[in-house]
Amino acid sequence: MLKVDRIELDNLLPGVFSGREHIVSDVWCRKQVFEKGKSYLIEAASGTGKSSLCSFIYGYRKDYEGVIRFDGTDIRKMSGNEWTDVRKRNLGMMFQELRLFPELTAGENVILKNNLTHFRDEEQIRKWFSMLGIDDKWAEPVGKMSFGQQQRVAFVRMLCQPSDFLFMDEPVSHLDDANGNVMAKILEGEIRERGVGVIVTSIGRRLNINYNVEMKL
Amino acid sequence: MAQLAGFFIANLCGMVIVMLGIQFYNDVLPVFTQEDSFIKKDYIVVTKKVSTLGSIAGKSGTFSSYEVDDLKSQPFTVEVGAFQPAQFKVSAGISFGGMDLSTAMFLESVPDNFVDVKADAWRYTEGQKEIPIIIPRNYLNLYNFGFARSRNLPQLSEGMVGLVSLNLYLSGNGMRDVKKGRIVGFSNRLNTILVPEAFMRSANASYGGNKAWEPSRLIIEVDNPADERIAEYFSDNGYETEDNKLDAGKITWFLKLAVGVVMTVGLVISLLSFYILLLSIYLLLQKNTDKLENLILMGYSTQSVAKPYQILTVVMNFSVLLLSVIVLLFVREIYMDALSDIISAESEGNMMCACFCGVLLFVLVSVYNVIAIRKKINSIM
Repeated sequence: MLKVDRIELDNLLPGVFSGREHIVSDVWCRKQVFEKGKSYLIEAASGTGKSSLCSFIYGYRKDYEGVIRFDGTDIRKMSGNEWTDVRKRNLGMMFQELRLFPELTAGENVILKNNLTHFRDEEQIRKWFSMLGIDDKWAEPVGKMSFGQQQRVAFVRMLCQPSDFLFMDEPVSHLDDANGNVMAKILEGEIRERGVGVIVTSIGRRLNINYNVEMKL
Repeated sequence: MAQLAGFFIANLCGMVIVMLGIQFYNDVLPVFTQEDSFIKKDYIVVTKKVSTLGSIAGKSGTFSSYEVDDLKSQPFTVEVGAFQPAQFKVSAGISFGGMDLSTAMFLESVPDNFVDVKADAWRYTEGQKEIPIIIPRNYLNLYNFGFARSRNLPQLSEGMVGLVSLNLYLSGNGMRDVKKGRIVGFSNRLNTILVPEAFMRSANASYGGNKAWEPSRLIIEVDNPADERIAEYFSDNGYETEDNKLDAGKITWFLKLAVGVVMTVGLVISLLSFYILLLSIYLLLQKNTDKLENLILMGYSTQSVAKPYQILTVVMNFSVLLLSVIVLLFVREIYMDALSDIISAESEGNMMCACFCGVLLFVLVSVYNVIAIRKKINSIM
């Protein structure tokens, strides 16, 4: 079973940027390491490849140059089954587009993930729901909820996973500060208790936690 | 859903046609081939075709030893016997009331085990005075019901004929001899005037100068005259038979041909319907690509994502198989009723073969579908 304690980016560059000179970035075209237990903020302007970075690391796009390694393993060489394992055990992802199932209820969306990992119990999940102020939306189809509410559902879903790292692609873009702070509190608890690594991207609104490293894309 | 219903019906048609073809063939074939049905293990007399051109060109129309060996090696042949012709002149005469009537004739012999008349008298040892003769039963009928009636001559029974003693005048190789002959039996099988092979051999040696000879007629013992390979072999080689024993073989051949055509049509329909099924599944997958992608990104394995679709196809295929067997049972009931009127013998065949083919088709197609779905889902990510 794979363990992901370090994510190394080695001269990484999205295919669409190849050939471009003078790339000024803390991530692209250099060596960068994300370590477990630390939190990183990646600030980016629109169109600098923030979501691409997430999709490269999460293994559903491969149009990049350079190498990404999980504890020394080149992820290009990982099989489909290994990816399934990684997504089930090591990496949690909160997608920018959330990727929830609109016809399922908020509760079902989270349970669908938890049934795979059996990592949390329903009580805990409901507790998070109420902390984030969406406990009344438990039985409502996600498709009928606002994007901000959906973001909170996706956040809870991400927590139902025994992760080494949590990726959040603009997690608070549609949230008010109060809910953003609740989210930050929960996340800080996770870092403290489980020692997960956290990588958050932002184009403006940022999730308020104490980042170990802040970088610009 | 409409596509799936279309698949279901089309596949049902194809499957039923394929299975029905096999079943019908299995049910009808025994009518022609079964050992205890109306065609039995039998003898076939084979000659070469006499053609006008061949006669003018002086072709012999005899079988070479190569041709005989080839015939012996055929799978339908049990035994081959040659008709040995007399290589000397023969005339036969009857003397009664001091009057001698005689006529030129011919003699032939076949190996004794091909003779269908079991008479004790059918034996020849060197120096024996009286030569046993077998004539076709047809000859007696020809005389009794044709010649005798029109000339107001008395009809003869087989027993009476056996009492008459014939004079056989044998000549050749500078020798002349008279022997006694007696008709000891009548053959249905052999359309010739027969003497024992032992006599023929010694007579050919003394009166015929023991020349080399090739048979112009062969008698073949076959397991199953309905074997269509016999008719095929004969027509390929330009051989002819004297009776219509090979008709069953031709019918069997046509039956196989017809069943083959029907089964091909059924198979094509089946294949097309499986194609429809696959297309509808693909369509379904395509429609749900986003959801499938999300499931896989959540950490669900491609196997578990593919499983519901695979189960759907296998269940569809299996229900088609079941329904086909039921339809087959019904249809078979109907035509077996009609068939049992024609054949008296109860030939209760079973449906194992057809069902086996159905299951085989089901397994092949299901395995293919399962793999295709798996590949399709793998291609999503």
